[in-house]
Amino acid sequence: MSPRRKAAWLAACGLGVASLLVLLVFPLVAAPARVGTPYRIGFISSVTGPGASLGAPERDVARMFQERLEREGGVAGPDGVRHEVQILINDDQSRADVAASLARRLIEQDQVHVLVGTTLSGPSLAIVPIATELRTPTISMASARAIIEDPATKRMRTWIFKPVPENLHSAAKQAEYLKGVGIDRVCHLYENTAYGQDTFASAKQEFAKAGIRILYGDSFDRFATEFPQVTRVRASGCQAVVIGSIPPAAAVINVAVAGRVGPRKIVHGHGACSPDLIRTAGQAAEGTVMPCGKILVADQLPANDPVRRVNLEFIAEYTRFTGGQPISTFAGHAYDALQWALAGLRAVPDGQPLPRVRELARDAIERIRNYVGTHGIMTLSPEDHLGFDAKDFVIVTVQGGRFVLLPPNRWK
Amino acid sequence: MNGRWAANWLAFAAVVVAVGLVELVQPGILARLSRGLVSVDLLIRAGLFTVVLVGLNLLMGYAGQASLGQAAFYGMGAFASAIFTVRTGALNIPSHVAGAWWWPWLMMAVAALAVGAFALVVGLAILRLRGHYLAMATLGLGIIVYIVLRENLGLPHLNLTGGFDGIVGVPRLRVGSAELWPVQVYYFVVWAAAVGAMAVGLNLVHSPVGRALRAVHGSELAAESVGMDVGKLKAKIFALSAALASVAGSLYAHFQAAVVPDTFGFVPSLELVVMSAVGGMSSIWGAPLGALAVLLLEQLLRTHVLGLVPAVSGELEPVVFGLMLVVIMLFWPAGLVSSRRSRTAAWAGR
Amino acid sequence: MEPTATEAPTRSVAVPGRAVGTPTARRAPTRAVLGAGAAVAGLAFWVLGRRLGYGPLDYLQLVLDGTVTGSVYALVAVGFVVVYRVTGVINFAQGAFVMLGPMLAITFFQTLGGHGAGVLAASALAAVAATTLVATVVHRLALHPARGASPLTKIIITVGVYIALQGLALRVWGPRPYVLPAFTTLHMADRLLQLGGLSLQAQSLWVWGIGALAVLTLVLFFEHTVVGKAMRACAVNRIAARLMGIRVDRMATLAFALAGVLGAVGGIVIAPSTRPTYDMGLELGLKGFVAAIAGGLVSLPGAVAGGLVLGALESLWAGVTVAGFKDLFAFAVLILLLLVRPAGWLEPGQE
Repeated sequence: MSPRRKAAWLAACGLGVASLLVLLVFPLVAAPARVGTPYRIGFISSVTGPGASLGAPERDVARMFQERLEREGGVAGPDGVRHEVQILINDDQSRADVAASLARRLIEQDQVHVLVGTTLSGPSLAIVPIATELRTPTISMASARAIIEDPATKRMRTWIFKPVPENLHSAAKQAEYLKGVGIDRVCHLYENTAYGQDTFASAKQEFAKAGIRILYGDSFDRFATEFPQVTRVRASGCQAVVIGSIPPAAAVINVAVAGRVGPRKIVHGHGACSPDLIRTAGQAAEGTVMPCGKILVADQLPANDPVRRVNLEFIAEYTRFTGGQPISTFAGHAYDALQWALAGLRAVPDGQPLPRVRELARDAIERIRNYVGTHGIMTLSPEDHLGFDAKDFVIVTVQGGRFVLLPPNRWK
Repeated sequence: MNGRWAANWLAFAAVVVAVGLVELVQPGILARLSRGLVSVDLLIRAGLFTVVLVGLNLLMGYAGQASLGQAAFYGMGAFASAIFTVRTGALNIPSHVAGAWWWPWLMMAVAALAVGAFALVVGLAILRLRGHYLAMATLGLGIIVYIVLRENLGLPHLNLTGGFDGIVGVPRLRVGSAELWPVQVYYFVVWAAAVGAMAVGLNLVHSPVGRALRAVHGSELAAESVGMDVGKLKAKIFALSAALASVAGSLYAHFQAAVVPDTFGFVPSLELVVMSAVGGMSSIWGAPLGALAVLLLEQLLRTHVLGLVPAVSGELEPVVFGLMLVVIMLFWPAGLVSSRRSRTAAWAGR
Repeated sequence: MEPTATEAPTRSVAVPGRAVGTPTARRAPTRAVLGAGAAVAGLAFWVLGRRLGYGPLDYLQLVLDGTVTGSVYALVAVGFVVVYRVTGVINFAQGAFVMLGPMLAITFFQTLGGHGAGVLAASALAAVAATTLVATVVHRLALHPARGASPLTKIIITVGVYIALQGLALRVWGPRPYVLPAFTTLHMADRLLQLGGLSLQAQSLWVWGIGALAVLTLVLFFEHTVVGKAMRACAVNRIAARLMGIRVDRMATLAFALAGVLGAVGGIVIAPSTRPTYDMGLELGLKGFVAAIAGGLVSLPGAVAGGLVLGALESLWAGVTVAGFKDLFAFAVLILLLLVRPAGWLEPGQE
């Protein structure tokens, strides 16, 4: 590099550093003085990396809550004292080590009262030991059972909650549907990710209970474009193909399977309950069925379903806030997680020290009864930190380019 | 040990201890003083990476052999420690053994030896390759190890590695009945390993082996013609670097208490090389410097720069990080620390 | 790669295909070993396939499917080879070009109204041009100033460029998947062709055709144009090329531009069969790199063969065993190939 060019580079860098410094100092000057004892919620989602399509809407919900909380002046405790609530939003890059680091930082340095996070199962599991050690209530937005339950002892982890249904629920609903339409031989194709592997394990467990045989099951690559698995499906003699995948992979394999396996029924898992499936699979998605949270078809729910109103209000607010982004079930998980966090904080009287606030908030979250959320009505207890009932899943099909609720009497 | 490097090393060790003591007496003081930039958590991570990078620098900077799969050895150590302390039931390890305080330490040592032996065998085969081909083979090896971890070692019924979700609940390290925890205490464990690894590295570099390594780096053919067994020497260094990475992985597992295969895939291997290059791979001192520099840069971006502008937080972080990497490599092509010899050579090479 | 900058620039110029390989490696009876390996693999595929009741047609289907993805690997691999031969750099930013092509094409297509064959072709061409421009800028701004640095420094620069470009793509397009219509139907759903028991998406023909056309054009360019010959001269000996009055730096920029074209074309032709996302580059880039290495990293035919064979092997493996270990298989084959024949599996000498 010539001296002159080096000087130009250095000047450019200097300018950059200077502007960063301005950014650094300015908020200090402009920050308004806070009164009362404000609450802090640490929020971690995967805005970048493989979990980004899930984590970005979740982050948007957190921003929406922040705006709403500022508008409403925070939350009121049982003693009527209002507390400002600040949501500290972070990105774990879909990585477990980053998630763990962020969790420790949020709990120890930023002294958050409740932690919400994170998007994916692996990073959520990495947060578990830290939240437990530092005694901070934590609400995950990922699905793995091991997040809330110790697989060895089968006991609930004291400090961890999640409002997210599991693949076991999804598989149970799929089995119910398959029995309902008289199918007992299926193939199972799942994407080679944590989600996909878990759909397969869950299907093996739940389908066996229902007497449904999996004649062929295999994974496929998330970025695959050609599917030799289809050859195997054709040779296996199964009546339906169950797909455990999330768009875009779910869409790609949907297209590949729909064209080549003849009249076999295609059943997705709840990971496919996203407008992205219809947008990216198009005609091939028509007629496929999947168990979904009620949020996806909120407008088609019967008027007496309390979940309907909650969802319609949330969807309206979310759409307005994001400038027309389509709703996804993941946004719904973030909504439920933040509602639980706020419910916990509302139960804490003013003037408590930080560890006590965390304890009281935890106890309050565990006592949540008949919470009307985006995916159904949930009731938590010391034995159940999820409180979801597979009955709250609905079977949905794609018709004319939109998700349509399929009540049991129309399954056949 | 003698000479100037020993004095430097002692001074460095003193700083490490002093920082640890300050934080031990006043937990959280580093974070307060640095407005959240430096924390014990970050320093522990830097210490773990230092252990890995000492090995990587010996391998790449001194022996001149690139490795794009070093995270695999890091992961093997982490998963070995996690499996042998958590999956004791499936492995039929009696509980009075698995519960003893020395068991995790023993497993850490066994894992390091086993990983070192594995690397020695693999090294004898693949270190025949040079340059890009060696890099490619180590990359392939790294991805293979990652897939084996992810796919439960091919034995799904035993569920030893836990698949994608990994293993949660790795116990803390203990000495007797004393738990080496909280983080302020664990800091000393990790940095003892880091400073120890640096001592091993510096000793090696300033020994006849170090001269032999430099000869290999300079010209393999010349080294061979004066009677050195170049292949064995390289394989031994490869084994040492793998064993160091394994120890770091074990310490990571006991620190994090949860391990996930994704932490040890291709991208993390690449990051190790980035840290090594940023610090300067032709110097053992580049190891702590590279680890600290990269971690601080990430932290700075996350909390101090982009975190203040909520509208751009998250997505822009990789953009700035990538550009900073380019700028660092343009201005310090040999890394932040480089031996005088290589620095002059770098300028002469322009 | 030589990690520090202790070497004189001439050393990095040497074509590594010739320089590598210790005497032991060179003595390996490569043809016999490769033949035996292929026979064992074939037998294994046949035995495993029999268990599933496969006939010859099934195998043919698997291989056909594999070569579609393999063609894209091949295009990416050729991009690696062109840049490596002319500049000595392993360009990890190649994956970003593979992602930028389809993402830009989709954006242009939608901006221009979103229907019609002419619009699709125009958007695709514009996207290739834009990606090429990006590649050129990357070389001039990030790699040209570091031309004296060690190969490893340059590799890390390309890693930094990749991270930055992917991050920028996430900022611009978000994490959502996008759709590029199939070239035949101009619609999301492609036509399925049935040829005597084999089924094939029409897009596959486009992938093969455009891929072959791109590589052929490149070969003609290298063989029959002055600029192409000058680039080849740079690849053989950069100093000598400079002495002959060839602007080596411009040739290096041109090599990056060509890599941009190849990457973008590869990404665009496969886009209708997949659903492009901002992070699609890493996987395709890595596989392309594997293919390039398998082919010797300096040989165009080697890179093409490497890509096609890698795609076919992956497909066969997934067809007869468990797909989860597909990548493991690909990389194990790669390491074995490297050990048996470090300089690539095609006979050197045609370059």
